[in-house]
Amino acid sequence: MTLFHFGNCFSLAYFPYFIAYKCSGLSEYNAFWRCVQAGATYLFVQLCKMLFLATFFPTWEGGVGVYDFVGEFMKATVDMADLLGLHLVMSRNAGKGEYKIMVAAMGWATAELIMSRCIPLWVGARGIEFDWKYIQMSFDSNISLVHYIAMAAVVWMFTRYDLPKSFRLPVTILLGLCVYKGFLMELFVHVFLLGSWTALLVKAVLTGAISLCSLFLFVTLVHSN
Amino acid sequence: MFEEASEVLENMLKWSLPLSLVLFLVLLRAEAAHEFSVYRMQQYDLQGQTYGSRNAILNTEARTVEAEVLSRRCVMMRLADFSYEKYQKALQQSAGAVVIILPQNMSTMPQDIVQQFMELEPELLATETIVPVYFALEDEELLSIYTQTQISSSSQGSSSAAEVLLHTATANGFQMVTSGAQSKAVSDWAITSLEGRLTGAGEDLPTIVLVAHYDSFGVAPWLSYGADSNGSGVAILLELARLFSRLYSYKRSHAGYNLLFFLSGGGKFNYQGTKRWLEDNLDHTDSSLLQDNVAFVLCLDTLGNSDNLYLHVSKPPKEGSPQHILLKELETVVAHQHPELKFSMVHKKINLADDTLAWEHERFGIRRLPAFTLSHLESHRSPARHSIMDKRPHVDLTKLSRNTKVIAETLARVIYNLTEKGVSGDLEIFTEQMQVQEDQLASLLDWLTAQPRAAQLLDKDSSIVHTLEYYLNHYLKDVKRHLVRADKRDPEFVFYDQLKQTMNAYRVKPAIFDLLLAFCIASYLGVLYLAIQNFGLLYSFLRRVTSPRVKQH
Repeated sequence: MTLFHFGNCFSLAYFPYFIAYKCSGLSEYNAFWRCVQAGATYLFVQLCKMLFLATFFPTWEGGVGVYDFVGEFMKATVDMADLLGLHLVMSRNAGKGEYKIMVAAMGWATAELIMSRCIPLWVGARGIEFDWKYIQMSFDSNISLVHYIAMAAVVWMFTRYDLPKSFRLPVTILLGLCVYKGFLMELFVHVFLLGSWTALLVKAVLTGAISLCSLFLFVTLVHSN
Repeated sequence: MFEEASEVLENMLKWSLPLSLVLFLVLLRAEAAHEFSVYRMQQYDLQGQTYGSRNAILNTEARTVEAEVLSRRCVMMRLADFSYEKYQKALQQSAGAVVIILPQNMSTMPQDIVQQFMELEPELLATETIVPVYFALEDEELLSIYTQTQISSSSQGSSSAAEVLLHTATANGFQMVTSGAQSKAVSDWAITSLEGRLTGAGEDLPTIVLVAHYDSFGVAPWLSYGADSNGSGVAILLELARLFSRLYSYKRSHAGYNLLFFLSGGGKFNYQGTKRWLEDNLDHTDSSLLQDNVAFVLCLDTLGNSDNLYLHVSKPPKEGSPQHILLKELETVVAHQHPELKFSMVHKKINLADDTLAWEHERFGIRRLPAFTLSHLESHRSPARHSIMDKRPHVDLTKLSRNTKVIAETLARVIYNLTEKGVSGDLEIFTEQMQVQEDQLASLLDWLTAQPRAAQLLDKDSSIVHTLEYYLNHYLKDVKRHLVRADKRDPEFVFYDQLKQTMNAYRVKPAIFDLLLAFCIASYLGVLYLAIQNFGLLYSFLRRVTSPRVKQH
């Protein structure tokens, strides 16, 4: 399906990032270099997570069909490091809340996009064989962008000293959902045996819900004082 | 420590770090929907005449016969739906390739389809074509590919624009690609033949020659197992070698005849092995068993089934000659011991104007050696002699062993002169310890039909030739190999390679689909752009929703 199909998938994956970067006004703040730094932090965090997982977690030796709930849960817990990484990025950037969030999220998501989607698309979408999974992968990257923006917003809110008591609980819940979203998605797919398109839809809905809640909380927090 | 390293590598691939970039740049091959072996139709030149499919490469879209446009497409047909008209139609429309799908187990096919295909095989080969023709064995995935292709092929002409649009989005096309190179002539191919002998007791003895060709023929070389033709002949020859070598090992039963056994190669290609062997023995050697007293030559060809037995001759034997004695003894044995067998002699003159000779005995006849061919087939043109359908189930073991016994008894009566000595026709020599061993025949036949024995696949180092040589060495003396190579300037036979390929079937979508997808993605991106531009609206909406609550505090 050749270069044209690759072009399709590539544009589907990359253009939203491009549009988000341009339209959020980040370009006016010369935020490009900061985004790259955020991307570098992403790489570093992934490396640490990987080493940690490799050292402390045994390989799953059970049957093929059985899903190791506890093991995957523990692995997802390691994703907390993502939160630490985002916090690190945001604390090093001076500026308004929105600026920090956007820079961190854009850099993080772009780094993830380049690292985990670029190569499968290049190798797979350019081949003769056609598969829907490349389009799905590109949609998934769009969803990831929204997810990371929401996650960065929630982390920012969590670390604010002037966070009202009543917000503590919702923010923590949202934080937990963000971290375990991957685990929840795999759980759904396994239990309900969802098809690939349905899984994508569920993921989109879940991310949409999380981001709406976090946006709501963010607006309330920013404009409450 | 190494486990950790492997874990790190595993997770590395999972998390796609830049280091893996180097690895992935090397791997640029895509995976196919399905990969399967295909076997090409015969391609050979015999005495300057070309036969079969000339081409091997293929990289085309798949269609079935129902489609309207077949040119430059790979036409797929199943054996159950195969007919010569459809094949001709594909060739006339200059199709890119033809793939015929055969069932894994031929016995599931009804007999009339098998019979019809057997009769079509020579016609398929007779029309020389540049279209590559392949045969594939059916499995589930191939069947699903076929049905999907059939659905999309048959619905091409009919529907409305909207249906066509929907169709392009959902349907799957298949691209068939073979990995090999173009076929070319194999240079310097050596056809091997094997001979061995049992020397008689005495001097200046007459010789009886027993011949069987061990190669097989079919429309696809890799699928020609040749169970009946001529696996049965080889099995009988080897069993006779065993029985007579046993008889000859005792002084009292050491007869006054030399027995020469010959396993010829290239039999299906106009008996090339026999031809060159005769030339070498009669023209180029000073002394050879063939030059002196030859009583007769008996060729064994297709004896694995049915209750008929025919002795094919090119000249009716004269009274009193050894050939006539053989004929009489055969009639005696059949009449007394196996009355259910219908035996007769078939007389056919050698026609030198024909492209190929009919039976193997004609080669000997041309060189003025008295010869016969024994077969259960009445005509040399019978499709059973050149078919890929000729597999192990085509041979009936009891009939094969009965035929072996008939031949063994007849030969014994000839070499020991039993009729002259007044021994009755009912006496069976080969019983008890000397009996024809059915298990031996069965295992020989199973071994022979376990792999294809086409002449193009058996060079002088092949395991079949080695095993036959070993077997002959066990029972006979002076086992020799005889090689035939085609003449450089005017070759009698030329074989071509690329007979077995791996074909990949890739799932593809038509070009319109790409454009459609691009259009959808462009509109999606447009909507997204508008949404992000107007994100402020959502923001202010939420602000308005939350602020009254704040004011209430």
